[in-house]
Amino acid sequence: MTDKTFASEREEDGIQQKEQGRPPVDEMQTILIKKTMRSGQIIRYPGNVVVMGDVNPGAEIIAGGNIVVMGFLRGVAHAGAAGTDDKIVTAFRLRPTQLRIANHITRAPDEQPEAYPEYPELARIKNGVVVIDRYVPGDKQKA
Amino acid sequence: MGEVIVVTSGKGGVGKTTTTANIGTGLASLGKKVVLVDTDIGLRNLDVVMGLENRIVYDLIDVSDGNCRLKQALIKDKRFDDRLFLLPAAQTKDKNAISEQQMKDLCATLKEEFDYTIIDCPAGIEQGFKNAIAGAEKALVITTPEVSAVRDADRIIGLLEAAELPDPRLIINRLRPAMVKQGDMMDIDDMIDILAVSLLGVVPEDEKIVVSTNRGEPAVLDEMSLAGEAYRNISRRLTGEEVPLMNLDVNDGLMGRLRKLFGFSK
Ligand SMILES: Nc1ncnc2c1ncn2[C@@H]1O[C@H](COP(=O)(O)OP(=O)(O)OP(=O)(O)O)[C@@H](O)[C@H]1O
Ligand SMILES: [Mg+2]
Repeated sequence: MTDKTFASEREEDGIQQKEQGRPPVDEMQTILIKKTMRSGQIIRYPGNVVVMGDVNPGAEIIAGGNIVVMGFLRGVAHAGAAGTDDKIVTAFRLRPTQLRIANHITRAPDEQPEAYPEYPELARIKNGVVVIDRYVPGDKQKA
Repeated sequence: MGEVIVVTSGKGGVGKTTTTANIGTGLASLGKKVVLVDTDIGLRNLDVVMGLENRIVYDLIDVSDGNCRLKQALIKDKRFDDRLFLLPAAQTKDKNAISEQQMKDLCATLKEEFDYTIIDCPAGIEQGFKNAIAGAEKALVITTPEVSAVRDADRIIGLLEAAELPDPRLIINRLRPAMVKQGDMMDIDDMIDILAVSLLGVVPEDEKIVVSTNRGEPAVLDEMSLAGEAYRNISRRLTGEEVPLMNLDVNDGLMGRLRKLFGFSK
């Protein structure tokens, strides 16, 4: 990733990445978004992204690190965007349009499922594929 | 000092102009002094929906360019003495013919005289939208029960938040209760879940809207129109009155939810 990828493409959207021009932040650093991300809003960040709200359809998070959504994740999430396989995406309700970790892509089923899981889930890479499990607090799920 | 309210949606054709005409007329019926501003430059229609097209002499751009005084461009709606006016859009200019600052100044002047200044916004998120919201203090977001319209409404709500016009209120237009009941149309809960804003009202699909649009008489004046009733209720809610959601003639499950939702969102 180049420096430029770390800056928001859509400045009018209010969620802006202020890191442009500075050297890339370490993958371990975390940014906190204290609002719901709405359609058309995009955040690119080299570290972890925590959203205290929902990520609506049409919104997108691209993180070098992990992604944690305290509400509904319905948009697109890409963790480990620099190619690191050990990153995770977790959400209070994990219903993404598309979910990527490093170079692996999964998307929502074309048919709407009868029922969605009503509990927090966690996505990560296991044996080269993205797997989604129920999130268990305290569990050493991180591979 | 009055309020300046912009009626917006993102997606085109979902009922911004219909809503502007009806709540403007509804508020005038309640005795408020109202001016409607059409900012859909190049595609004006609010004058047609209001039945005032044949009286246009000057327009919004004539005012901002200083070709006439504001008072000269305001068209009086004779149905309401001195309470309802329209400032029409220019038909032959483009959206850059007016600036955000000019809109701010205009709204500041209008709100000194009118209880409600209601701005009909063009579709889209470009300069026309930016102009329309520039002088507004409150926003109404219109959507229809379709995924694409809701997506655009969400985008607009994000842009309104970024422009520091927070807490917009939602109007769901063209709801068909029978279709919702069959599971063929998004229901109100689904829309509120995503948009997370308060619901100002639900307007049913109603053929009378088409008839009234063609006649230039907003449906809110038609006692027999269901959509008209919805707009009368919305107008009263805008004045601060608490009006329960009307019965859209579906089963209690939905109505119960409607009421709860509205109570919730107050
Ligand atoms: N509740 C309703 N029932 C039936 N028809 C409706 C209803 N609301 C709007 N319409 C019809 O939908 C069409 C579009 O409405 P309107 O012009 O108000 O939308 P708009 O959002 O202003 O469109 P634009 O984006 O082009 O400005 C019109 O033909 C109108 O008569
Ligand atoms: Mg219109």
